[in-house]
Amino acid sequence: MDQDFSKPQKQSATGVIIMFANNLQKVIRAVALPLIFIVLKSKGNYGIEFILGISFLFLLLLAIYAWFSYQQFSFFLDEDKQEFVINEGIFNKSTLTIQLNKIQQVNINQSLLQQIIGVYSLDIDTAGSEKKEASIKAIDHLTATRLKQRLLSERDPITTTVAVATPKPMLKLSNATLLKVGITSNYGASILLLMGFIFGLIQFFKDYTALFEVETTEIYAELSQGFGFISICFFIGFALIVVLGTNIIRTFIRYFQFQIIRQKGALAISSGLLTRKNTLLTPKKVQLSAYSQNYFQKKLGISNMKVKQAAYGTADEEESKKSHIEIPGCNEPERQDILKMIYDQIPQKGKALIPNYRFLFLQIMLKIVGPSVLSCFFAFAVYQPLQPYLALLIPYAILVLILLYFEYKHHRLYANQGFIIKKSGIWDITEEIIEIHKIQAITSKQYFWHKKADVGHLLLHTAAGVIHFKYGNYSQINNLVNYWLYQLERTKKDWI
Amino acid sequence: MQEFTNDPIDINLLPQFQEVPLNSLSPKYWKIVVINMGIFMAVTTIGIIFLLLFNAEIKKYTGLIIGAYLVLMVLMFLLYRADVNRRGFAVREKDIIYRHGLIAISTTIIPFSRIQHIALDEGLFSRMYQLGQLRIFTAGGNSGSLHIPGIEIEEARQIKELLMRQISLQD
Repeated sequence: MDQDFSKPQKQSATGVIIMFANNLQKVIRAVALPLIFIVLKSKGNYGIEFILGISFLFLLLLAIYAWFSYQQFSFFLDEDKQEFVINEGIFNKSTLTIQLNKIQQVNINQSLLQQIIGVYSLDIDTAGSEKKEASIKAIDHLTATRLKQRLLSERDPITTTVAVATPKPMLKLSNATLLKVGITSNYGASILLLMGFIFGLIQFFKDYTALFEVETTEIYAELSQGFGFISICFFIGFALIVVLGTNIIRTFIRYFQFQIIRQKGALAISSGLLTRKNTLLTPKKVQLSAYSQNYFQKKLGISNMKVKQAAYGTADEEESKKSHIEIPGCNEPERQDILKMIYDQIPQKGKALIPNYRFLFLQIMLKIVGPSVLSCFFAFAVYQPLQPYLALLIPYAILVLILLYFEYKHHRLYANQGFIIKKSGIWDITEEIIEIHKIQAITSKQYFWHKKADVGHLLLHTAAGVIHFKYGNYSQINNLVNYWLYQLERTKKDWI
Repeated sequence: MQEFTNDPIDINLLPQFQEVPLNSLSPKYWKIVVINMGIFMAVTTIGIIFLLLFNAEIKKYTGLIIGAYLVLMVLMFLLYRADVNRRGFAVREKDIIYRHGLIAISTTIIPFSRIQHIALDEGLFSRMYQLGQLRIFTAGGNSGSLHIPGIEIEEARQIKELLMRQISLQD
C-alpha cells in the first residue's frame, strides 16, 4: 500500500483545532498583560456581559481565521524536481520549497493538545545556515511516518515501500533504569536549579518583610539561634532529597519511555512524558560521540551517551542543541550496539598518550598557590580579622589537589587506525570518540618555554566541537598529526 | 575493482608538516602593522596630553607617565615585530599550513577536502601596498578557520584560485 504525496493535500481535519489553539496561544501571549492592565484600570466600568461578548467575538474571528489558514495550507512532494513544497497563508501567500537532499532530519512530535486530539506534527530540519524550517502541525501517524520515510529516501523514490509494522526497539529504557539515571547524574544542573529556587525564596522573604514592615532583625536573631548542628544536618538532608527529587523528575519528563528503533540504516529515537519527541539519527552524519560515567554509574553498570551531529553552520543555539542526541542509562551491551550501528564496529582504544606532569603545574599555580598567596596578603595587610580563617586554606588545597590529580589521571588520548578517543573528567569521566575522516582542521601548539621539554598541545577541530589534548609529548603529537593528515588526504570518505 | 593494497606504513616516512619551509608574510605587511600602530599611538598620545593638560593632580607624575608610556610602546613594537616575523604559511599538494603566535606557537593545517569557502579581503592600507588577507573556513567553526594576512595580492589570488579548483575537484 502506497500513499500518493505528489498531489497537494491538506492536513488532518482536526488541524483546524491545532491552528486555532496555536493562534489563540500567540494572541493571548501578546495581549494578555495589556489586557489585564486595561481591565484593572477601567475598574469594572463595563459589565461582565460586555467582556464576555468581546471575548466571544474574538474567539469567533480566530476560529474563522484558523479555518481559512487550514484551507490554505497544503503540501506535496514534487517527484520530478525532488522537492517538498508547502503552500500557506491567507493574505500573504507563501510557498516553501525544500530540496529533498537538503533534508537533515525529519521529526515527528506530539504536544499535549496533539496527544488529546490524536494527531502529530512533522518538522523538517534542513542542513545549511539558511533558516528554512518547515512544519506540518496536524497529521495522522500513518501519513506522518510514510511521509517521513519518503522524504528521507531521496535517492530512490519508487522502490520505497514502507513497513507499517514497527520493528522491535533495539533499546528501551525501563522506569528502573530511569530512576538509576536520575539518582546518579546531572548533580550540577540540579544544584544550580535549587540555588536559583533558594535565592528566589530569600528574595521573596525579603520583599515580604519589607512589605509588611516586619522587624527583620528579630527573625534573623532567632534564625541564628536555632541554627544548630542538627538543623544544619536536617537542611543538608533536605537539600539532598530535593536535588535527587528534581533530578529524577527531570529525567522522567525528558526520557520517559525512551526507545531506539532501527530504521533503514538510521536510528529513530523517541522519548518524553509530556511531549513525545522523535528524532532521527543518521550514522554518517554523526560527527562525535561521547559517553560518560561516574563512580556510582560504574557500580550500577550504566552510562550516558551523547551523539553530536554537525552543528556549525546552523544559525542559532537552539538548532545546534537539537542536533545533539542524548541516550541516558544504557548498559555495556547496549552501548556497544549503538556504537556498532554508528561506526559499523566498536571503536578500540589505541596506544594511550599520557600528558606530562607539567599539566598539573600551571593548574596548581592558578588554583592553589595564587589564591593562597592572595588571601594571605589580604589577611595580613588589609583585613586582619580574616587571619583565623586562613587555616581553611589547608583543606581547600588538599581538596583541589585531589581533584586536579584525578583530572590529570583521566586526561588521555587514544589513537588507532580509524578512531581517536579522548578521555577526560574529574567525577564524570567522559570518552569522546571521533573518526579520523571527521576532522576538519588540526592545530598543534607549543609554548616557547616547553620547547626543550618537548611538550605541546593538540587541537582537533570537528563540526561538533574541538577535541583538546594538553601537555602531551610534542614529537609524538606531531607524528600523529602527520599520520592523520595522511589518512585524511588519502580517504575518499566525506565528513557529512 | 581497483587495485587494493594495504601495506604497513612507516609513520616516520610520511611527509612531516613541521619540516615544511614556510613562506613568511610579505615584508610590506610590517609597514601596515606600523601604520596601524602609529594611528593607535597618535590617538593615545593625544589622550595623554589632554589628561596632563586638564588634570592638575596628575601633573606631578608627568615624567613617570611619559616614561611608562614610552616603555609600553617600545615593548608593543618589539612584540609585534617578533609576532609578524614568526608567522608563516605554506601550501602543500593537499593542504594548507599556517603558523602563528608569540607565546604559544600554533600550527594549523587544513586539508583541501575540508575547506568550505574562501574569502580574500583587501583593507584600506593593504590595498595601498597591494596586499590581501586570505580567510579559509571549514565546518569546524571559528576555531577551525584560518586568517592569513599580508600576502601579495597576486599570490593571494593565485592561492585562492588553486584552492577553489581543489574544492571543485573534490565534489
